[in-house]
Amino acid sequence: MKRRIGDRILKGYSIVLYLFLYAPILIMVVFSFNDSRLLAVWRGFSLRWYDTLLADPTVWKAFYNSIWVAGLTTVISMVFGTMVAFALIRYSFRGKSILDSSLYFPIVIPEITEALSLLLFYVFTGIPLGAMTVAIGHIAFSISYATIVIRSRLVGFDRSVEEAAKSLGANEFRTFFHVTLPLILPGVIAGGLLAFTVSYDDFVKTAFTAGPGFQTLPLRIYAMASRGGVSPLLNALATITLAVSMCLALVRLRLSKT
Amino acid sequence: MVLYSLGMIDILRQFRFEATLRYYAEFFGSVAPMVFGRSLLMGFATTAACLLLGYPMSYYIAVKSGPRKETLMLLVIIPFWVSFLLRTYALMTILDVNGIINVTLLSLGLISEPLNLMYNMQAVLLGMVYNYLPFMILPLYASMEKLDQSLLEAAGSLGAGPARSFLHVTLPLTVSGIGAGSILVFVPAVGEFIIPQLLGGTESFMIGNLIWTLFLKARNLWFGSAVSIILIALVVLMVGLYMKYITKGEEMAI
Repeated sequence: MKRRIGDRILKGYSIVLYLFLYAPILIMVVFSFNDSRLLAVWRGFSLRWYDTLLADPTVWKAFYNSIWVAGLTTVISMVFGTMVAFALIRYSFRGKSILDSSLYFPIVIPEITEALSLLLFYVFTGIPLGAMTVAIGHIAFSISYATIVIRSRLVGFDRSVEEAAKSLGANEFRTFFHVTLPLILPGVIAGGLLAFTVSYDDFVKTAFTAGPGFQTLPLRIYAMASRGGVSPLLNALATITLAVSMCLALVRLRLSKT
Repeated sequence: MVLYSLGMIDILRQFRFEATLRYYAEFFGSVAPMVFGRSLLMGFATTAACLLLGYPMSYYIAVKSGPRKETLMLLVIIPFWVSFLLRTYALMTILDVNGIINVTLLSLGLISEPLNLMYNMQAVLLGMVYNYLPFMILPLYASMEKLDQSLLEAAGSLGAGPARSFLHVTLPLTVSGIGAGSILVFVPAVGEFIIPQLLGGTESFMIGNLIWTLFLKARNLWFGSAVSIILIALVVLMVGLYMKYITKGEEMAI
């Protein structure tokens, strides 16, 4: 009996905590459809804030910037991530353990120091800040995320199919593209999607390396949030941004289950 | 990646050699030590709050069985899919002067003037806990899932009360989860930038804000570098100490 009361308390407590995790996001999303200038007074369903957003060229520009930086990051991270993952799994070489542990750098060090190291690098080498410096920064750190995902896929790889392909006369090249790659493709795509998400959501690194004039969606949201505070318009923009990351995450979840 | 990470260290070093130790001396004469102290305090407070809040919840999920456990865990992970910036902004929509809390309380007549819920330390702490809680729950859950329930039953049948078996069985066996979770929360929390910037005021200015101001507003790369080198050193030191302590704790538990 005593135990049951304990369980109930634990259950109630957990429900409250779940609510705490979800309520702010849900409220933000719901009120982005509110037909009122006021933030928290419900006046009926409307898409007017979305209309305003779609008519704003700076938002489109920021969206376009976000997508192409993230897209470029994804492609390059997938290629290099696969190469690094292969190198780590299949071969042994000097400095392997250093490379292995350096993969976790971007995950453990505070992001602000990553951003700083990038900025210092650009200042030191004299590269002007802009779209390219943002993309390079995203790529440099996303490769390790992609590598970690792809590597986990390679660990359980059955090499006998490769040997079978080779004994049937396929060369290294053919074996890789017709046997190995199709088998590890879900992992490669999952790694690429993670790279996309990390790049698409990134704020700190982008803010440090963008320079004046280049804006991604997170930068736009931040600029609006810190200047004018909260507004239904910003709720709508945040909701759109959130919807994209959610979709990506769902695809990733699917891939990890196959 | 290796070249890159080495490159970044070289560059920071070169700045330091050019600048000599002047900027480190400047560090101690400025507001920086106070900001550091505040950030560390904030890091500790966030870690402690996440641990206290997350531990019972992880336990609740870990003792469930089958698909329900997976669903509950997924519900913890989903907020991860939303970026920090968006989650912090979402919190702003609630705490704002015109936010849901103030509007509700005003319309209920409980308060006559809107409360100032934002731009203070408490708001920053709330934002931190809100954002970092899943980072704590994940490793805690992982360590609890491995926990053998029969050990608890054994402790119970040997006459230990719930409190005793928790202190002597559950807690020592989940020490690795506590350690991993604390590091995952503490390290990014100390260097956090977005949360204090959006939810905090001048009284909650943290290292992240200091570095940001030095680099992007004052363009003082040298002093900024010194500050961030000290930040990295401090974080590495803290984590090192903590790891040592935790592995010791683990050895003792075994």
